[in-house]
Amino acid sequence: MANVEIVMPQMGESITEGTILKWHKKVGDQVKKDEVLLEISTDKVDSEIPSPASGLLVQITVEEQKTVPVRAVIGYIETDLSAAAGAEQTSAAPASATVTEAPAVTRVATAAPASEKRVSGRFYSPLVMSIAQAEGISMTELEAVTGTGANERVTKKDILAYLEARKAGASRPVAEPSTTPTRTSTSTLNIGTPVEIPELRKKYPAPAHEVLQMSNVLQKMAQHMVNSVRTSPHVAAVHEVDMTAIVRHRLEHAAQFEKNEGFKLTFTPYIVEAVVKAIKKYPLINSSVEGDMIIRKTYINLGLAVASENGLIVPVIKHAEEKGFVGFARAVNDLAVRTRNRKFSPEDIQGGTFTISNYGVFGTLIGTPIISQPQVAILGTGAITKRVAVLNDAIAIRSMAFFTLSFDHRILDGALGGMFLDTVVKNLENFDTNMKF
Amino acid sequence: MEPVLDGRPPAGALGPKEKLELYYFLRLTRECDNAILRLYRQGKMVGGAYTGTGNEATAVGSAYALENHDYLLPMHRDLGAHLVKGQSVRNIFLQQLGRAGSLTAGRDGTGHYADPVLRIYGNISHLAAMIPVAAGIALAAKMRKEKDVVLTYIGDGGSNVGEFHEGLNMAAVMKLPVVLIVENNQFAYSTPLGKQIAAAKLSDRAVGYGIPGVTIDGTDVVKVYETCRVALERARRGRGPTLIESVTMRMQGHSASDDASYVPSAMIEEWKARDPIALFEVELMSRKILDDAGKRDIEKNVRHVIDEAVHFAESAPYPEGPDSVNGVYAP
Amino acid sequence: MATMTYIEAISRGMWEEMDRDASVFVLGEDVGAYGGAFKATKGFLQHFGEERVIDTPLSEAAILGAAAGAALVGMRPIAEMQFADFVTCGFNQLVSNAAKIHYRWRLPVPLVVRLPSGGYIHGGPYHSVSPEAWFFHVPGLKIVAPSTPYDAKGLMKAAIRDNNPVLYLEFKYLYRRVKGEVPESDYVVEIGKGAVRREGTDIALFSYGSTVQFALNAANQLAVEEGVEAKVVDLRSLQPLDTSLILESVAETGKVLIVHEDNLTGGVGGEITALIADQAFEFLDAPVRRLAALDVPVPFAPPLEEYVLPDQTKIIGALRELSRF
Repeated sequence: MANVEIVMPQMGESITEGTILKWHKKVGDQVKKDEVLLEISTDKVDSEIPSPASGLLVQITVEEQKTVPVRAVIGYIETDLSAAAGAEQTSAAPASATVTEAPAVTRVATAAPASEKRVSGRFYSPLVMSIAQAEGISMTELEAVTGTGANERVTKKDILAYLEARKAGASRPVAEPSTTPTRTSTSTLNIGTPVEIPELRKKYPAPAHEVLQMSNVLQKMAQHMVNSVRTSPHVAAVHEVDMTAIVRHRLEHAAQFEKNEGFKLTFTPYIVEAVVKAIKKYPLINSSVEGDMIIRKTYINLGLAVASENGLIVPVIKHAEEKGFVGFARAVNDLAVRTRNRKFSPEDIQGGTFTISNYGVFGTLIGTPIISQPQVAILGTGAITKRVAVLNDAIAIRSMAFFTLSFDHRILDGALGGMFLDTVVKNLENFDTNMKF
Repeated sequence: MEPVLDGRPPAGALGPKEKLELYYFLRLTRECDNAILRLYRQGKMVGGAYTGTGNEATAVGSAYALENHDYLLPMHRDLGAHLVKGQSVRNIFLQQLGRAGSLTAGRDGTGHYADPVLRIYGNISHLAAMIPVAAGIALAAKMRKEKDVVLTYIGDGGSNVGEFHEGLNMAAVMKLPVVLIVENNQFAYSTPLGKQIAAAKLSDRAVGYGIPGVTIDGTDVVKVYETCRVALERARRGRGPTLIESVTMRMQGHSASDDASYVPSAMIEEWKARDPIALFEVELMSRKILDDAGKRDIEKNVRHVIDEAVHFAESAPYPEGPDSVNGVYAP
Repeated sequence: MATMTYIEAISRGMWEEMDRDASVFVLGEDVGAYGGAFKATKGFLQHFGEERVIDTPLSEAAILGAAAGAALVGMRPIAEMQFADFVTCGFNQLVSNAAKIHYRWRLPVPLVVRLPSGGYIHGGPYHSVSPEAWFFHVPGLKIVAPSTPYDAKGLMKAAIRDNNPVLYLEFKYLYRRVKGEVPESDYVVEIGKGAVRREGTDIALFSYGSTVQFALNAANQLAVEEGVEAKVVDLRSLQPLDTSLILESVAETGKVLIVHEDNLTGGVGGEITALIADQAFEFLDAPVRRLAALDVPVPFAPPLEEYVLPDQTKIIGALRELSRF
C-alpha cells in the first residue's frame, strides 16, 4: 500500500500559502503522473499543478477556495492499485526537508553556595565564587572577607590572601590598605557580628567574652586610620576663636534664611567659608604627597566628616572655591539630607582635598583629628561654649571655640599651620555681620 | 587552411550527424526544463525554478562549438550548454532537488555546481560575478600556455552590472582567451530592454573594449554554432575576447513564480512563431535529415532519459543536517 | 639572519615563494613596473617577468575575481589591493565567490589578498580603514595580521601555501617603522597561532597589528609604576583565532583587556569577549574590557585621528582601571 501525499507547493521563496482554485479530478478518479491535477493561486502567480504520481485519487483533504500553508497536505493518491479506496493513512516520504533545531548548549558556571543567604549585597565575581566553592568557603565567611577592589569588592587577591591566612589558622587578616581615598560601605548596621571560632573561644571563653567579627565598615575605618598615622607625621595646632559675632548673626537671620531656603541655618557655612578663603591664601594646605612630589590642587573639594550609623563618612563639597556663603549652605544641606537618606554615590565621598571634622557636636572642646589620606591637613572644630574671655582689656562673656589643625609635618610646618589656622580664625572673627538673606 | 581540431568540424561544416545531435540536445533541454517546472509545481523542488525556454538554440549551439578541454561558465538559462558539454541528466536533477549525491552535496541548487572533469563552473546568483572569474581561468590557461578558451554568458540585464565591465575590460586589455555571449532575451525579470540600456545594440559595447562584437539571431542554432566557433578560434589564437549578442525571447516568466503578465501577448505570439526548436525541425525535415519516425525515436529517447533521471533523483537521499558544518575550509 | 623592515619581510616572503613555486604570481595595480604603491614588489618584474607580475587595470572586482578564477584552476595568485579601503570594490568576489567555493564545490581557492590597512598615518577616512571585521564574519575566508617582520615573512609564506583564500593584513604604520631579525631560511608561521610578547599574571591583554607595540610599552610602564604585570598576546591570526591561547591566558590572569585599532562596535574584540564570556566565565575577576577606535570613520586632521585611535596613554589608562577593579 503506498499513499502519496499531494502537497501545496511553494511557488516562490517568499510565498507562505496558496489557495486551491479548482480540482481537475475528484475522489475516485484515476490520475496519471504529471497530468494536471488542480489549479492554485498564490500572491505571485496562478499555476496548474501536475500530479506527483499515478494512481487513484483516494482523498481530497482541502476543498476549493480554501487557503492552506505551503507544504500542507491537500490530498492523497494511492499508487498501489491492489489496495483500493478507503485505505488508512501511512506515512509517506517527506517531500521537504525539515529543519531541526540543535539544542542550545549552555555552559553553566559553578554556582555560589546558593543555600546560604547573602547578607551584605556585595558583588562577587565569577572567579571569586568559583574559588570560594572550590575551597569550601561559606557565604558567611565570604561576607567577612575584606575587599580591596573597587567599591570594596573582594578581588582574587583578597580571597587568596584570606585562604592563606585561614590555612595558617590566624583570625581573618586585614588586607593591605588601598591608596584610594576612604569610602565607606552603605551596607552593615553593626560594628560587628558574633562569630564562633574554636581557637578564639579557647582563649576568650563565653560568657565572659563576646567575640565579634568586625564589620567591613569598621575594618575599613581601622585600616584607614592606622594607615594615615603611619603615613603622615601628625602635628596639632590649637587656636581659640571668638564666635560671638557669628552666633549673633545666625540668631538674627536664622528665620529669614529658613524662609528663603527651606532648611535651617547652621554654623557650618560660616566655618566652611572662612576655611575656603584661608586655603586660597595657603594653597599648600590643599595638596597631597607622592614620594618626593607635592601634588598641589587648584580646586578645593571640601570634606565634612560626619559620624553616622554607617560609620565615619566624609561627604565632599566639590569645587568649593567657586561657591559663596549661600552656596555652601545649600551644598552642606544637600549632603546632609542625602547622607541621612543614604542616597549618596561614590563620587560624593571621593576626591576630597581638605576635611573639616565637627566633633564639637558631641561636646568635645579640643580634639586631635586624624588626617584623611591623601590630604595633608584636617581641621577639627570644638564645641562653641560661653566662656569668660578678655575683650578690650575687660572681662566679657563670649561664645568661644577651640579649633585644632592636625597637619602633615612632611610638608607643613608649625609656622604654616599656625598662620593658616590664624587666618581661619580671623576670617570668622571678622565676619561681615551686615550680610543679609 | 583551418586547423584540425578534435571532435568538432570547423565552422560551416556541420553534417547531418551533427545536426541530428544538435536537435537531440535541443529537445532534451526543453524537456528537462519542463520536468523541472513540473517538479517545482508538485512541491518536490524548493527554491526557484529557472527555465531557458526560447534560449535553447543559444545554449546548445554555443556549447557545441567547444573543445573538450575548453571551459564552460554557463548562466541560469543555459541548461542546454551543460548537457552538450557532457553533464548527465541525473546530475542535473540531483542538483535541482538538493540531494546528498549532487555535485554540491546539496549545498547549492540549480546550476550552481562545478564539474572540474567536464570543466563546467556554474554560476552564482550574483549576475556577472563569473565574468572576472572567467578572465582568471583564461589567464591561468594563458600562463600555462594551454590552448583552452573560456566560454561564458550573461543576460541583457546582467550586462549592466559592474563586474561585466571590469571582467571584460581586463580580458580585452590582457588578450585573454574568453568568449562572452550576451543572451538578449528582451526582459530582465519584469524590466524590458528599453529600461536597461540606452545603447542601440548590446554588441556596440564591444567597441568600448576594443574587441569585435556581433549581434546574431539567437534562435538559429547553426548560426550560433558558427559564430561561436569563429570567436573561440580567435581567442585560441591569442587574439583576445569576442562579444556575441544572441537575440532571443524569454518565453516563460523569470522563474516559476513569475507569470510574466507584463509581457505583451503580441510579443509572445510573435516569438512563438520563431521557436528555435520548431524552426530547426522544419529545416531538418525539409532537408530529409529528420523524418517523423526519427523524431518519435528522439522524443522517446529524451523522455526515457529524463524519466529515469527524475526517478533516480527523487529516490536519492537528502544530506543530513550534521553534514552541513564541514568543508568550509580546504585542508 | 638579516635585519629588515616589516615591508621588506613581506616582500621577501613573496619572493621566496615565487622562486619556489611557479604557480605563484602577483597581480594588482602598479605592482609591476612601479614595484607597487608601497614598493612591496620592487624588483619583482625584472626577476620574475611580466607573465608573473601583472599590472592590471584599475578594477578591484576584476582583480579579485580573476584571482579566484586562476586559483580555482590550480594557480596561486597574490592579489594586491592598493589600500585595504578599496577591497570594498571587489567585496562581492571575495564573499560570494572565493569564500563559498570550497564549501559548495570542494575545490580549493588558494589565493592571497594583500591589504595595506590601518591608520596612524594621517590617511583620512579612505586610506586608514581596518577591513578585518567585514570579512571575519564570512565562513570560508582566513585572515592573518602580522605585527613583526619575522611574522610578516612567516605568515606570508603560510598564506601562499594555504589552500584557502587568505586575507593578509599589512599595517601601513609598521611598514618602515618596525625593523627586526628575519631568518633567511624557509620558515613558516602557522596560521591560527598567537604569540606571547610579554609574560604576566595580573591582566591578559590581547591585540594585533599596530597596537601591539603600544600595548607592550603600556604594559612595561604599568609594571614599573604600579607593580602590575600584564601578559601581552599578539594574536597574529584572526580567522582562525588562537582560542586556546586566549582562554588559557584568561584562566591565568582573571582580567582581560582587548586592544585593536578597528572600530569598537562589531570589531573582532567583541567576538573574543563573547568567546571568553561563554567559555571562561568562571575565571573572570572583572568584566572583559575593550579599547578600540571610537565608532567614527578615521578622520584626517591629526588631533582628530589621535583622539579617535587607541594609543599608549589610553591603553595604560585602561590597564590601570582594570587592575584596580
